[in-house]
Amino acid sequence: MRRTTRKRLNLGLLYGVFVLAVVALVLLADWEAINKNFFDWEVAKGLWPEIVTIGAKNTVVFTLISFFGGLALAVVLALMRLSPVGPYRWLATAYIEFFRGLPALLVIVAFGLAIPIAFSWQPPGGFVGAGIAALIVVSSAYMAETLRAGIQAVPKGQTEAARSLGMSAGRTTVSIVLPQAFRIVIPPLTNEFVLLIKDTSLLALIGVAFGDRELTTFARDAVVSTTNSTPLIAAAVMYLVITLPLTQLVSALERRQQKAR
Amino acid sequence: MARAIEVKDLHKYFGENEVLKGIDFHVDDGQVVCVIGPSGSGKSTLLRCVNRLEEPTSGTIVVEGVDICDPEVDLDGIRSRIGMVFQSFNLFPHLSVMGNLTLAQRRVKGRSKGEAVEVARTNLEKVGLAGKEDAFPAHLSGGQQQRVAIARALSMDPDMMLFDEPTSALDPELVGDVLEVMRTLANEGMTMMVVTHEMGFAREVGDHLVFMDGGVIVEEGDPHEVLGNPQHERTQSFLSKVL
Repeated sequence: MRRTTRKRLNLGLLYGVFVLAVVALVLLADWEAINKNFFDWEVAKGLWPEIVTIGAKNTVVFTLISFFGGLALAVVLALMRLSPVGPYRWLATAYIEFFRGLPALLVIVAFGLAIPIAFSWQPPGGFVGAGIAALIVVSSAYMAETLRAGIQAVPKGQTEAARSLGMSAGRTTVSIVLPQAFRIVIPPLTNEFVLLIKDTSLLALIGVAFGDRELTTFARDAVVSTTNSTPLIAAAVMYLVITLPLTQLVSALERRQQKAR
Repeated sequence: MARAIEVKDLHKYFGENEVLKGIDFHVDDGQVVCVIGPSGSGKSTLLRCVNRLEEPTSGTIVVEGVDICDPEVDLDGIRSRIGMVFQSFNLFPHLSVMGNLTLAQRRVKGRSKGEAVEVARTNLEKVGLAGKEDAFPAHLSGGQQQRVAIARALSMDPDMMLFDEPTSALDPELVGDVLEVMRTLANEGMTMMVVTHEMGFAREVGDHLVFMDGGVIVEEGDPHEVLGNPQHERTQSFLSKVL
């Protein structure tokens, strides 16, 4: 057999397998049940408008607070991590290793349930406040490492030039190093942001009040009240509506910055 | 004549490696001193010790009468009076040319925005780049970037300028513009210490020439003398390769 013929046969075989798999899936699935349970238009209409005004809104708000809170803390941690002062470095390293090593879920439960019991103290904002604090703590550990890499990627000559002009170490960090470091880490920070959007769904586990429900909690409650799974699909669509424009926006920003370089 | 820079018995180690082995060196006010030598001779390290970008291991460095190794010294204040130009330009890529020229003026010298902009414009004109205020460093040629770097240093109204191989990273056809700016500065009476491979510049503009090799000053004197009639064998062998 000639090589090209064999290649074509192989390719044909691969397509064949794919088509068979799709056909089998379509035949085996119970479409009536799927339609009734997941794509019930009446149920979906019933979710409107609360799925946006409560669910999506809270998801976005919780994510923004967690992200910018985490970012602020991450800047401090990254600078501590690069500090010439030993204890700062050790403290930051311990914090980062500790919270990167734990599942976010565990930290949320600890903040929401364990801390109030252990210290008989309620974090401000109730369960939601505690959950968001946990997300800030966990995401800051990840973002601190990203930022540290970004800071270290800024050429040493930049610091030298700034210092030779008489700028203090602090001024150099704020005006010269951090702005350049942030540009370098925009792609991985976007990633962290998208992860956080989805991690807000973990707040469902500590149970939140009606007005504080984000998308996943909202959908799960709706599944119970309507005895139908359509709300899950609706929530999935809402998540994509939030994340897709965001990732598009950031890649546009990245492209523009590439040009400016 | 007053000494702008006075270095005495300077030693510098990088780990076990002694790169400066007891340097005695000085630059008088208004003088242009060029330092030449093969790579690894310690000439850049010597220059970088003068504003303490490198920490001297031992010895004294006095700039404008101030011992800069004194732990109590206001290092940022001293540095703001010593202009420095790097081989790799080191412009701030996230700032426009005007941003590069005004940042330290405002933050270190505390000048108002209007004043800083005016000083920046004067210096941009001096280096032949009037009209480039809004350009970003990435959009400039190497020669233009280096001239912006010189203008940035000049905008601090320094008492002296340090040049660390300012033309080594440039394409040959761009070297001339940068040297021309440096020549103008020298003619205006600026005190300059120049680490360079440009022998023509050293001969024509320099008041004093220092040849370094292996962490010591091998030979120094009038540039015409040292370049035309080198006394030391190592100087002769180096010059025979570069001239």
